[in-house]
Amino acid sequence: MDYVRRNRQIANSFYNLGLEKANIRDLSGAVECLKKSLRFDKYQMDARNLLGLIYYEMGEVADALVQWVISTNLKPTDNPADRYLDEIQRKPGRLEIVSQNVKKYNQALWYAQHDSDDLAILQLTRVVEENPHFVKAHLLLAVLYMYHEDFPKAGHSLYKVLQIDKNNPKAQWYMSIVKKNTGKAEVEKRKLKNAFSHQKMQDDDVIMPPSYKENTGWQSVLNILAGLILGMMVIYFLVMPANTRALNNEHNDEIITYSQKLNAKNQELESLQASYDDLKTSADEMESRLSTIEGDNSQVLAQYQTMIGILQAYRSDDILSVARLYVDLDTSLITDESVLAIADAVKTDMETNGYQLLENLGTQAWNAGRQTEAEEYYQKSLEVQPNNPSATYLLGRLYQSQGNSDLARQYFTRIITEFPESDQASQAENALAQLGPASTAVGAADAQTEAEPQEDGESQAGQEETEAGEAETDGTDETAAGSAQDEAGPSEETQTAGETETAQQE
Amino acid sequence: MGDSVINFEEEISRFKPSLDVEEVEDAIVKSDLTDMTDIMMEMIKEIRE
Repeated sequence: MDYVRRNRQIANSFYNLGLEKANIRDLSGAVECLKKSLRFDKYQMDARNLLGLIYYEMGEVADALVQWVISTNLKPTDNPADRYLDEIQRKPGRLEIVSQNVKKYNQALWYAQHDSDDLAILQLTRVVEENPHFVKAHLLLAVLYMYHEDFPKAGHSLYKVLQIDKNNPKAQWYMSIVKKNTGKAEVEKRKLKNAFSHQKMQDDDVIMPPSYKENTGWQSVLNILAGLILGMMVIYFLVMPANTRALNNEHNDEIITYSQKLNAKNQELESLQASYDDLKTSADEMESRLSTIEGDNSQVLAQYQTMIGILQAYRSDDILSVARLYVDLDTSLITDESVLAIADAVKTDMETNGYQLLENLGTQAWNAGRQTEAEEYYQKSLEVQPNNPSATYLLGRLYQSQGNSDLARQYFTRIITEFPESDQASQAENALAQLGPASTAVGAADAQTEAEPQEDGESQAGQEETEAGEAETDGTDETAAGSAQDEAGPSEETQTAGETETAQQE
Repeated sequence: MGDSVINFEEEISRFKPSLDVEEVEDAIVKSDLTDMTDIMMEMIKEIRE
């Protein structure tokens, strides 16, 4: 039976074609192919079962049941239709709902065919809500919307149909009419034209380079990382330096503020230091004044002690001690009136008698080699009695022997000018002659300084004077003679004059 | 009906009522299961006769 086998082959081919169309959701085309397949071989179970599935998908549940029941009748065993039927019958309410939906659709169709469009639309709206895959209901609803020129709603229903059965001929035809009435057809036509024709460059067109590729997952991650790195670099190189500069400026301002405060404090410290120095100076001055006062008090006390010593010396008739103590007496420091009266009496006594004693004490000290002490005695003698050419001359000779030619010349000149009639005047003139000019007197003064007065004053002096007299007799130089006299102590003339005066006073 | 080129009445008349679940049995009974093999067998039978 070759024709039987051929019919099966043809049926199988139609089934394959229907299956391919079903896979691309061309359900209408698949239905046609599957029906043809069953026309050639009614036992093609796959085609029948697939046809039932397609009916079920398009909302035609009763048609699906018909195909599956026939399928199970023709092939009772090992038939997938059994499972489909079991799935539907397992939910008893499901068949009832489907039945009600079909009845509503049929009623809506009756309304539509009998000029009750609004009722038909209401009914169909409920039907598609309960069974969104009911293709026939969507198509009828779209026709009704189109009739009422509600093309957007019609387009919405048709869009749903084409989602279920993309090559549904009716839906495609209705959709073309809807697009024509809504203007979408022109838009799509223009897009299609632009896609396959030369297109003029627009301002906002972007030409993608041939090397451009859409980013993959890893590229996106790398781009994100690169963005993060760039962001960090921007922060590090742009933001951080600005912040650092701001912080530096702030720190500089703080440093300036602190420097100003420091300068103010330093100035305050300097002023305080100056005040401290002033106060310290005042304190030192006060301390020195206090010590001076204390010293003055001790000096005053010493003067009183000297005064007491003078009185004791008077009591024991020790005129020499009186004169010696009188040298150290400073009556200006004595404030007590009674003591001052005694001091004045002592002064008067010393001015009348004591000055000669002081002169003698000076001569004794000179002869003892105590030139400084001798100088003080002579000075004190002159203070007690200034008109004493003898003491003046001796003081001049003392200075001459010390090499102090200026003072010596001063005292010698004083004798010549103030006491020209005195015995010491001529001696002073000789002494001045010996001194000579200020420059030549130095050698003589050096020679006198080397000599020391003899302890035995008068005898030594006499001996020297004798030698001097011999020198003069021999016609030797006067300067040399004078020098010899100075080295030995006061000259004979001086001694004579002093003794003469002392005798006269006595 | 606007700019559409379809005839509403004609289009509505093309819609057929959907098969109800209650009518499945009748539909099964009335369904024509004759295929090309049956037709050819019938033709061969007639030729033989």
